[in-house]
Amino acid sequence: MDIIAILLSKPVLIGMHLGFAILGIDAFLWLLGMLKDNSGSQRSRMVTAAVGVAAFVASWLVGGYYYVVYYGVLVKPIIKSGLAPWAHNIIMETKEHIFLFIIPLAATMLFVVMLEKKDMERLMLRKPAMRLTGAVAVLGLLIGAMGFIISAAARWGAVS
Amino acid sequence: MNTPRLVRASAYASIITIVFVVVITVWADLSAPLKDRLKTLSGHHWTSKSILSVLLYAIATLVIYALPHKHGDEGLHGTLNVLFLSTVFGTILLTAFYTAHHLGYI
Repeated sequence: MDIIAILLSKPVLIGMHLGFAILGIDAFLWLLGMLKDNSGSQRSRMVTAAVGVAAFVASWLVGGYYYVVYYGVLVKPIIKSGLAPWAHNIIMETKEHIFLFIIPLAATMLFVVMLEKKDMERLMLRKPAMRLTGAVAVLGLLIGAMGFIISAAARWGAVS
Repeated sequence: MNTPRLVRASAYASIITIVFVVVITVWADLSAPLKDRLKTLSGHHWTSKSILSVLLYAIATLVIYALPHKHGDEGLHGTLNVLFLSTVFGTILLTAFYTAHHLGYI
């Protein structure tokens, strides 16, 4: 088995999808702390936001590959025929679409923190920026919780 | 590069993208021909929505950035607040739609 085959295997894809998402959530929580305390240089805020954007993009690509190649064929039928078909019909359907909000939101926050601190204060952007940064992190956490429900539903389906 | 202008363009483009994702998702779930067309585009309806949403965000950001803007940057915090509300309502709408769809109300 070569390295590509290992990277494209189901457990590794799921792990990378979750791992990159956690990195993105952590980066935006870190950024939220910087904005709340008005701390960190402009450069450190930009690097933190850029790490978050890159991590969410990576999570999206890896999770998208898993979803398109494996989920519909292997996991969805188990959930739909199991004890909690709503886990696909409500949770997965919502999850896969609200994920598409994250990249534009995160990219917008990257552009916001490219502003100098004095411009952020002049334009009264600190509070809206904190709300949006929090929204990115909360959306990421919500999507993570949804992923947990979907995985659990697949396990119930397998034993029902 | 004018950063406040870029922030405004990205925020408006994000709002447009969120509205697009909500509308095309609901529409495609209620219209089999549209869902089939999305599948034909890339092989999977979700992949097509992903590609279209990224293209829409990128193009809208570039176009809005290039458009002349008469007013100053003072209203930028309001634009970010609208983006925040769009995110909240978009999330609620999609959750409510799929819940109603599952329960057979739609």
